[in-house]
Amino acid sequence: MFAWLKKKPALYDDVKRFNAITAPALSTPARTCRYLAIDLETTGLHARQDHIVSIGWVPIVDQQILLPQAQHFLIKPPVSVGQSAIYHGVHDKDLKDASELSEVLQLLLQEFSGHYFIAHHCRLDRAFLELAFQRYFGKVPKMHFIDTLNIEWYRMQKQGIVMKKDALRLPNCLARYKLPVSAQHHALEDAYSCALLYLAQLKKSHAEITIADLLVQSR
Amino acid sequence: MEVAEVSKFLAQTIPFDQLSSAQQADTALQLSVYYCQEGEAVDISKEQLLIVRTGIYALYSDKQQLLTKLEEGDFYGYQLLLTGLADADQLICEEDGLLYWLPAAEFHQLRYQYKNIDIFFQRLFGRRLHQYKEQQGSRFTLKVSDVVQARKVAISGEHTVQQAAQLMTEKRVSSLLVEQEGRLTGIVTDRDLRTRVLAIDLPAATPVQQIMTPKPHTIDKHAYIFEAVQLMSRFNVHHLPVMDNDSSFGMITATDIIRSQQDHPVYLIGEIHRQTTVDGLEQCSLQIANLAQVLGKQQVPAHEAGHIITTITDALTQRLIKLAQVELGPAPCVFTWLCFGSQARMDQSINADQDNALLLEREPTAHIADYFSALADFVCQGLARCGITLCPGNIMASNPELRLSLKGWSGKFAKWIASPTPEAILKASIFFDMRAVEGSKGLFNALQHDILARTNNALFLFHLAQSTLQRTAPLSFLRNFILEHDGKQKKGIDLKKRGISLITDIVRIYALAQGISEVNTRQRLQQLALLGAIDSKETQNLSDAFDVLAQLRWDKHIHDLNQGHDASNLLDPNILSGLQRHQLKDSFAVINNAQSSIKHRFCKEV
Repeated sequence: MFAWLKKKPALYDDVKRFNAITAPALSTPARTCRYLAIDLETTGLHARQDHIVSIGWVPIVDQQILLPQAQHFLIKPPVSVGQSAIYHGVHDKDLKDASELSEVLQLLLQEFSGHYFIAHHCRLDRAFLELAFQRYFGKVPKMHFIDTLNIEWYRMQKQGIVMKKDALRLPNCLARYKLPVSAQHHALEDAYSCALLYLAQLKKSHAEITIADLLVQSR
Repeated sequence: MEVAEVSKFLAQTIPFDQLSSAQQADTALQLSVYYCQEGEAVDISKEQLLIVRTGIYALYSDKQQLLTKLEEGDFYGYQLLLTGLADADQLICEEDGLLYWLPAAEFHQLRYQYKNIDIFFQRLFGRRLHQYKEQQGSRFTLKVSDVVQARKVAISGEHTVQQAAQLMTEKRVSSLLVEQEGRLTGIVTDRDLRTRVLAIDLPAATPVQQIMTPKPHTIDKHAYIFEAVQLMSRFNVHHLPVMDNDSSFGMITATDIIRSQQDHPVYLIGEIHRQTTVDGLEQCSLQIANLAQVLGKQQVPAHEAGHIITTITDALTQRLIKLAQVELGPAPCVFTWLCFGSQARMDQSINADQDNALLLEREPTAHIADYFSALADFVCQGLARCGITLCPGNIMASNPELRLSLKGWSGKFAKWIASPTPEAILKASIFFDMRAVEGSKGLFNALQHDILARTNNALFLFHLAQSTLQRTAPLSFLRNFILEHDGKQKKGIDLKKRGISLITDIVRIYALAQGISEVNTRQRLQQLALLGAIDSKETQNLSDAFDVLAQLRWDKHIHDLNQGHDASNLLDPNILSGLQRHQLKDSFAVINNAQSSIKHRFCKEV
């Protein structure tokens, strides 16, 4: 009867362990840090009503994207995928091999402490993740997000470039750096694209740029 | 899980395209990805395979020599992986891009598992060695100035034969230049001393000028050795004074030449001039393909090879004319044997056909017409037997319309220039590159002078430019192949139609506008630069582009010959190295620029 009570502290410990290894100080040169580029596909835009459909991530170490550690998880839905399936190309029948969201989040906590997280337009991904952590772990881990969209916006503003309406969409950002464009709305492809964009942004910054600088730009 | 964007790229990249899609996905999973910025030196010290995803990277040797440029789908690091030996190379990013790294363990596993992958990288390694060798290899073709030391031994004509003999003994030479006030007046050889002095018992006090060979044949210091060979064979002499502009520079002897290049293939020319039958010439011509291969092996640059091949065609023509005259008797009037097109430009390759004609001193009537008709038939058929195929457009001296007097030719050209119909323009591209192969130079000069006085005609140049602009260089050949089909051959870029002749055409327009008498494209460009008709940068670019294209075509022809095929101008861009692809792209860009210059210059006012 009290089994759920026993389980909870273990998960809670994962968060504590994650938090125990902090990401490098804000004054650290950004090129030396470890990152995890992450992307979520969801059934909608509201973290409270909608669900995570899939999660993709790729780590960056030493300014290199490590594809052997790239991951993509389909998440078992609490309800039918429904309407937004067309949008993501994920159907109920594909979900046989899907993972429990709690297991995926646990893996993330276990493997990527001490990393900075990267996402393109991170607000949404962050909201979904935080809610899920709260729900399954009873605590939200301290994750620091760098937003490639905001960095791009900041830099274009600074250069005085007049932006078209969708200039900051991921494919358009990639095209500006002449980077290959993946199929969109696939969590892993988008996480990879986001990682590419970040590598380029990092190279286009001065060599000693710090995490603090990037966090300012990605506000 | 693999990133689809990455495995899709592998699926399109040789040699990974041969793997199953599961294996491609597996390989994609092993990579790490790096973004490289312009000016950055890529770290190539680790044992891993570099795969270029995007961007351009220049590879330099330890001597800072550019070896190649790497582009999408190119590799580096296989030499270290295959041999364990690192090169002291430097890889510098020239254009931002992405690099993939495949770790050593995965690279070797792929090699063991898939034979094709192993073979591919072994070959790449072999080619790379070749690339190094090519950089270091010395050019074989020598010039006269390379053989002759600037050690001129001369005597003036008033000196006695005895003094001459003493000088020759003292300087240990077999011949002397005879000069009067710094000008060459003759030569004297030890054979002359024997036959013209001793044998007929002339006194030792006889002045040199009495027994010398006056007005000897001479050769320019900058001429190729084989041209000296040709002169010696043609006139049966063994000594040629070497000239530097108008003053003498030294003497080249048959022995010098033999010593310098005992195995030089252009002795073929000498052999041609010794033949007394068409059968004999045909036998000689069988060696041309072999000669081309030797030239290819020795990496003689294309323009020199073109020069050599043309010289052989010239020699065959000259010899055939001689043989015809043995059969038909001496010509009833002075004539000039003309050649057009690539033979005239001295850039013939081994698949050229005949383009020739006759220029006659008198109107071709009655017995004159008969004589030259027989002569032309003899020569054209003879050339055909020697592998220089009959012209499909019938531009040959055997065509009676192309056996004309000076007046006849002049009228023909005047008509083409005055009323530039499409047909006339097409002819212009062939006939306006013209050279005398045999016969009277004076007659030829008169015709050329007459033509060049007319060619600076805006309407004519406008039409010539228009027709040149109809064909463009295939700039985007790397991404979307703009390829043409050629009945029996596979697809490829036609290096002649879409490259070399475009440059030839462009340069011809400028040359005709300026009244330049040179016909060789490189020489025309030099002249144009001297006259300031095109700015020197553009002439340099055109000249470089021309060399690149000519080289690719020549290499292709040699390759075809080695494979036992007919030489073809169609090039499959896939077989090119990164650097070659670069050069090819640059060359096409140069052509496009030059075409727009032509458009501005010649196509506006009419």
